[in-house]
Amino acid sequence: MLWPLPATKPVPAALRKRRRSAVALLPAVVLVAALFSSAALYGAQAQASKPAEAKPAEAPPAENKPATYVGSETCQACHEDIFKAFQKNPHWVVQTDKRRGFENNACESCHGPGSKHAESASAADIRNPEKLPPAQTDRTCLKCHLNQPTHVGRLQSSHAKNQVSCTACHAIHRNGPNGLVARKAPAINELCASCHTSQWVRFQLPYKHRLPEGAMSCVDCHNPHGGFRPGQMQYFAGNEPGCFKCHGDKRGPFTYEHAPVRFEGCMTCHEPHGSANPRMLARQEVRYVCLECHANLPLSTAGAGTVLGVVPPAFHDLRSPRFRNCTICHQKVHGSYVDRMFLK
Amino acid sequence: MRALLVLFLSLPLVGQQAAPKPEAQPAPAAQPKPEEKAAPAEAKPAAPSEQQAASPVPAGEPVISGSVDFGYRWVSNVGGSLDAYRSIVNLGEGPKLTGLDFTVQDPKHRLFDRLDVRGYNWGDDPYTTAHISARKRSLYDFNFDYRNLAYFNYLPSFADPLLDTSKGIFLNERSYDLRRKMSDFELDLLPGNWITPYLAYSRDAGSGHGVTTFVLDATNEYPVPDLLRDETNTYRGGVRVELRRFHATLEEGGTTFKDDQQVYNNLTQNYGNRTTPYAGQQLYLGSLLQAYGIRGDGTYSKVLVTANPFAWMDVYGQFLYSQPNNDVHYNQYNTGNFALLSSLLLYNGQQDLATATAKMPHTAGSLGFEVRPLRRVRVIESWSTDRLHSAGIGQLAEQFLLPNSASLSQVAPLSSRLVMNYNQQQVDVLVDVTSRLTLRGGHRYVWGDGQDLAPVLSPNAGGLESGELRRQVGLAGASFHSGQKFSFNVDFEGASSDRDYFRISLYDYQRARARARYQAFGTLALSADFSILNNQNPSQGIHYDFLSRQNSVSALWTPAGGKRVTVLAEYSRSTLRSDINYLAGPYFATESSFYRDNSHAGTVLADFALPAYAGMIPKISLGGSYMVSSGSRPTSYYQPLAKLALPLCKNLFWTAEWRYYGFGEAYYLYEGFRAHIFMTGLRLTK
Repeated sequence: MLWPLPATKPVPAALRKRRRSAVALLPAVVLVAALFSSAALYGAQAQASKPAEAKPAEAPPAENKPATYVGSETCQACHEDIFKAFQKNPHWVVQTDKRRGFENNACESCHGPGSKHAESASAADIRNPEKLPPAQTDRTCLKCHLNQPTHVGRLQSSHAKNQVSCTACHAIHRNGPNGLVARKAPAINELCASCHTSQWVRFQLPYKHRLPEGAMSCVDCHNPHGGFRPGQMQYFAGNEPGCFKCHGDKRGPFTYEHAPVRFEGCMTCHEPHGSANPRMLARQEVRYVCLECHANLPLSTAGAGTVLGVVPPAFHDLRSPRFRNCTICHQKVHGSYVDRMFLK
Repeated sequence: MRALLVLFLSLPLVGQQAAPKPEAQPAPAAQPKPEEKAAPAEAKPAAPSEQQAASPVPAGEPVISGSVDFGYRWVSNVGGSLDAYRSIVNLGEGPKLTGLDFTVQDPKHRLFDRLDVRGYNWGDDPYTTAHISARKRSLYDFNFDYRNLAYFNYLPSFADPLLDTSKGIFLNERSYDLRRKMSDFELDLLPGNWITPYLAYSRDAGSGHGVTTFVLDATNEYPVPDLLRDETNTYRGGVRVELRRFHATLEEGGTTFKDDQQVYNNLTQNYGNRTTPYAGQQLYLGSLLQAYGIRGDGTYSKVLVTANPFAWMDVYGQFLYSQPNNDVHYNQYNTGNFALLSSLLLYNGQQDLATATAKMPHTAGSLGFEVRPLRRVRVIESWSTDRLHSAGIGQLAEQFLLPNSASLSQVAPLSSRLVMNYNQQQVDVLVDVTSRLTLRGGHRYVWGDGQDLAPVLSPNAGGLESGELRRQVGLAGASFHSGQKFSFNVDFEGASSDRDYFRISLYDYQRARARARYQAFGTLALSADFSILNNQNPSQGIHYDFLSRQNSVSALWTPAGGKRVTVLAEYSRSTLRSDINYLAGPYFATESSFYRDNSHAGTVLADFALPAYAGMIPKISLGGSYMVSSGSRPTSYYQPLAKLALPLCKNLFWTAEWRYYGFGEAYYLYEGFRAHIFMTGLRLTK
């Protein structure tokens, strides 16, 4: 069965019918989702106080009876090293916390009922989330982690859509300084670079953020759990680009804004992963960065084809070297507090 | 800072005194390999837990583990440009604490269950960091991060590459020698509980000096010293409520900001003084004091919600609102001989006073859901919006002191408006065709509008200019996994726009990305990455043509489980082409901006375990990285390195490291540099 995950709860045919009819009612469902959420809150409170639902069922007598829960101590008999390390793992709380529904069955909370595996000692008789299709692996984790802040961005995250499962980054059994996931900047960068090779190579260029030096990590700028900004960018102060967390002097608001900073962000002019151009600029000289927008062209008519900032703030003789670095004079290019032409 | 350094050094020593020195160091719990996880009892490795059971540390005493690295660094005489070296590398000489990393675990769970302390690159290094985390289960989780980063930027070619080909301009205008210090504190209370309150504070401060320009009415500019000091404080607190079918995070925060930049001139002969007469007179700068006093504050609110009202449906939403405000107090006083081009006026002094206020209410939100109508089908729908309005208003009062002791005063209003409304709707359908293959397709519609002040020289100067955004994007992709041996992922986006904000914005574009990972053998893992972006804007007067490609391959070879040799190799080839036309002043001749960047970059790092002696294994690492590019700014950058870790006794290593930095630019030869860096030190582990 691919969906939903818990093998102990087969989906009734009636429920399947209801699902199909629900597709037709999707728009209405979305509109009242908030109401359902409120109802869910009420229901959840009630359920939270109930005993665990995942208790093993009464064992049917047939030989091909479904696997049942045997408890983590049974697992310990063979997997003692993992069991010992797991006791210092944050997930150990699943073993001890009645509220989560898997008290004394922590191993089986992810691996599923283990009675058959305990009898046969065959890997084929136990579920290994790491080897499942990513979407199923995620559902295993989401049994507990579904309603958490990380889930907000998950649905918009390219990681989830690209079938990168939780276990691609999180080591579930591991104990030690890095715990479930890399915490130190070099380890985080190594983890991300193992897939994002092209991005990591950019950090070998001379002008870059200081990731290879261990002063920063990928998650300083990107939220691996996702977000609604492009590139899964982090936020600062609620809803502003994460760049301003370190570059607070560029945040504003300014009396005179430079529109691209607000409309398309720092990447309009900068290559944040690294560049051969000073100050991580997107072009080799400042004037080209500016002239690509401020092209001196006359404004076109409103509507299609109209773009902002085509007319520059001033006309200069670009044959003169004096005018070839626009930011020498238009120095407040990120926004000015007092001058419309960003001169001061 | 030194006190912190001493404190960090002494903490593990205190810990070491507390615990009696073991006769035999127990090995840390080994991380089981994936293939061992399901292995039966007979096949499992020797149980480290037995070694743990034999630990001589008295039960109940805190267990400390970690390491300290310290040593001395020498930097050879930097050949070539020291300014470029400092702008790119900036490592200095002297004693350094390169790494401190220890963990304290308290079995009695008194103040904490676990305390982690890390510190790297202390001792006046350009990238100093520290981290402290402490947690006690179900009670608190505390994290502190500190960074102190140097930002030195003094590149002759940046200011004006052609003014003086021997070394740029006299004084490099727009240069910086700054330090940015960032601290983050976060405290979660009752972690793991259904309700978790949290508090956090962040501070980002920059200070230092530099060289900037004092610009006067387009007639002249003067390089002048610049003192910079800014500070942003962020306070936030909130609560997370996590229930079985519902989660909500409510957060309220605030920021304060100040920026006290000061520009001055104390040179009697400023390099920017005009040597050719203007209106028959020499223009020069005498004294200058320019001071910015910016004070800002703001509040923000954040609401995140997730719910799964049905087993087949997940819903999420977020609402974010912020309103930062800045109050501006600007003061400028300068004397000398200047010209006011707009009034054809010569004057000897000027005093400017400006006050202004800027506000930027900013609302963002998103709403979406995932439904699973069929066993193998998921539908993800999302809407998001980002709406920002910025307005500034104020007044600038100017007084000019004329040569005949008269004065001229004028008052000008400061007023601006910027509006940005962005919206996006996206639907993705993911189909698990088989347990190994997932296909996905979707559609994204992006639309928005914006307004900004029209440029001074535009026909509607004084008014607003408007832009619109309309973009249809088709999405497709596939993922294939063959167990843990092979995985392949491909993404494609194809877009068509009819309106866009800027000339170089994404318009009609195709973007594709493919990644593959292959575990060829148990000892060899290969991966490859390919991406391409082709963006065209054929609109009249724009004709933008952009194409970038990146191809990367990497390999990790770990024969015999990496016991003796580990080799990591990466190679990337990237090409970028950007063509766009513009009109160049003063005659508005059509010119083209051709940007080309074709680069090869690679990294190789090989770790070797040398023959053991006295039960200890010395290790050596060799490798480095290189980058060679051609095109608009041909550059080469080499960073080879060699490291040696020689165990002296069980917990003590002698470490030595050599690095070389070689940087060169074909067009700006004066910016090249070469430097050898040696470092030696000791590494203590426990």
